[in-house]
Amino acid sequence: MSANKILIVDDEEIIVRLLSMSLRSDGYETVTAYSGEQGLEVFKAKSPDIVVTDIKMPGMDGLELLKKIKELDPEKEVIIVTGHGDIDSTITALQYGASDFINKPVRDEALAIALKRAKTKIAIRKKLEEYTENLEIKVAEATEEIRRKSNFQRLLIKSSNDAIVAFDHNWKVIVYNPEAVRMFGQAAKDVRNKMTIDELYTPDMAKIFKNQAQSEKDQTTFPWNEKIIKTKDERQIPVRYASDVLYEKGEFVGTVNFFQDLTEIKRLEKELVQSERLAAVGQTVSGLAHYVKNILIGLKGGSYVVDVGIAKDNTEKFKTGWKTIKRNIKRIGDLTQDLLTYSKQREPEFEPCNPNDIVGEAVELVKDTAVSNDILVLTEFDKTIGKVLADPQTIHRSLLNLVNNAIDACLEDEDTSKKHEVRIKTYKDKNKMICFEVKDNGCGMDKDTRKQLFDPMFSSKGGKGTGLGLLVTGKLIEEHNGVIKTETSLGNGSTFTIKLPCKKPN
Amino acid sequence: MTKKVLVVDDDPDVRSFVVTVLEENQYMPLVAQDGVEGLEMIEKHKPDLVILDVLMPRGSGIRLYRKLKTNENLEKIPIIMFTGIALRSFLKSQRALDEFKGGEVPKPDIYLEKPVEPEELAAAIKKKLG
Repeated sequence: MSANKILIVDDEEIIVRLLSMSLRSDGYETVTAYSGEQGLEVFKAKSPDIVVTDIKMPGMDGLELLKKIKELDPEKEVIIVTGHGDIDSTITALQYGASDFINKPVRDEALAIALKRAKTKIAIRKKLEEYTENLEIKVAEATEEIRRKSNFQRLLIKSSNDAIVAFDHNWKVIVYNPEAVRMFGQAAKDVRNKMTIDELYTPDMAKIFKNQAQSEKDQTTFPWNEKIIKTKDERQIPVRYASDVLYEKGEFVGTVNFFQDLTEIKRLEKELVQSERLAAVGQTVSGLAHYVKNILIGLKGGSYVVDVGIAKDNTEKFKTGWKTIKRNIKRIGDLTQDLLTYSKQREPEFEPCNPNDIVGEAVELVKDTAVSNDILVLTEFDKTIGKVLADPQTIHRSLLNLVNNAIDACLEDEDTSKKHEVRIKTYKDKNKMICFEVKDNGCGMDKDTRKQLFDPMFSSKGGKGTGLGLLVTGKLIEEHNGVIKTETSLGNGSTFTIKLPCKKPN
Repeated sequence: MTKKVLVVDDDPDVRSFVVTVLEENQYMPLVAQDGVEGLEMIEKHKPDLVILDVLMPRGSGIRLYRKLKTNENLEKIPIIMFTGIALRSFLKSQRALDEFKGGEVPKPDIYLEKPVEPEELAAAIKKKLG
């Protein structure tokens, strides 16, 4: 919309008419008045965009009109027509806010230029108004957007599954979301803006985050770590945690900690291991059935021999049969124990014990079998091991299993010219781990056997093995945080080494 | 004359059971613990019958069975396979060995899968030895 309506005010009618004609021919709309008073009336009635007024008029003069108009609407453009040398009036007009001056006699070009300037001013002002108005809308929109975003962030922090705790530069808690409330067990009102890091966290945790803030400035993000945290109310929670150290213009302003509760994950992990183990027991069933059948054969045969012994009053027979029955009862007992050990979660029971003694006892149990089969059993114990904190059951059963296997490996060996032997050695390695080595020079294993060694349903002993022995051993060792290693060479024998971390008893 | 029957089995429980059955039926029992000892005993005592286990250390029953059946001096000795292994698995292993070594070894006369009642075992022995 361009400013097009012009009010011409002059007490000389002819000038008004001439100007009006000239302006109309230029495309303007004109309204006219012949005195200041009339000019003001017309201005009020017609609301022209630009006023061109003579300065010298009887009654209300141009300056007075200018003043009145500006009072009514300061944004209207008023062009003053002056005579030569009318400096005082010009200054007054300027003070009243006249937009331009043209000299008498009014020349068309001069008026055209003045009008153009006035129009440009109006246009600029319009634009400025639009801009201002727009700006206000834009600012309002931006404010709303920021509010929405910060609200969103607040909600995000609030509803996060991670516990989020932030501290300012004085280590005062400033963010403490509901998950953090749940995890640390302290109400938000008692913590936020009240507690410091040392009051909220245990000393070791507070230390971790404080140390991070003191590290080099180029590291601001600290990756996920796992830890079991202890809350002030003595709960232990396994968590993953990470943190960010915050800087603003190179100044430390605080830190943010994130915690993920791993309780559920850990529980599921445990459950998974457990169900895998049960599945493995299921897989072993066919191997087990075979083994159980062998026990049944033994029991049946034994009871027949006993029957014969009773019928014939033959004590020797009776004893032989009875021995068979007892041996097979023991096999059932061992099998049951293996199955239970394997299928159940068991924590090692640490107690002060002497590993060498336990190994010695295990070896004693199998010595008879070895001797009757012409297998030499040699032991070499590191006397400096002494008493340690360990689970005696783990050591006993693992060693018994390995030594039994070693004897079987000698029995299976087809090279009868060999002088078969099983060597059992204990020693401490350079990492202070207690090592148990069982070495035989029996049949050894091929690659396939070696690979399946710790598989559930696998046994290389036909119906004589349950396929549980090494499985159980592996599990016991794992629960004891130990490792088991195997070296083997087909035809030359195998070496099994168990390494257990052992603490000295207090 | 009392007939000699050799039991080759690594399981002492099985040995004492079979020995008792043999004694009860007036045979003379001989025992061996594995394939190698079994062959020694056969060559030394020339038994009238061999009761043979399949899975044993030091020369399995599978191997000893082949040795006997491919030795013209020993192939006539009747054999009762007495084992926990299914007949199908035993025959499979023999067929695989037939292919590998060439020639064909006859199927065992009697194949008993453990567990076996004493009467059943005695009947099988009688069938072979009268």
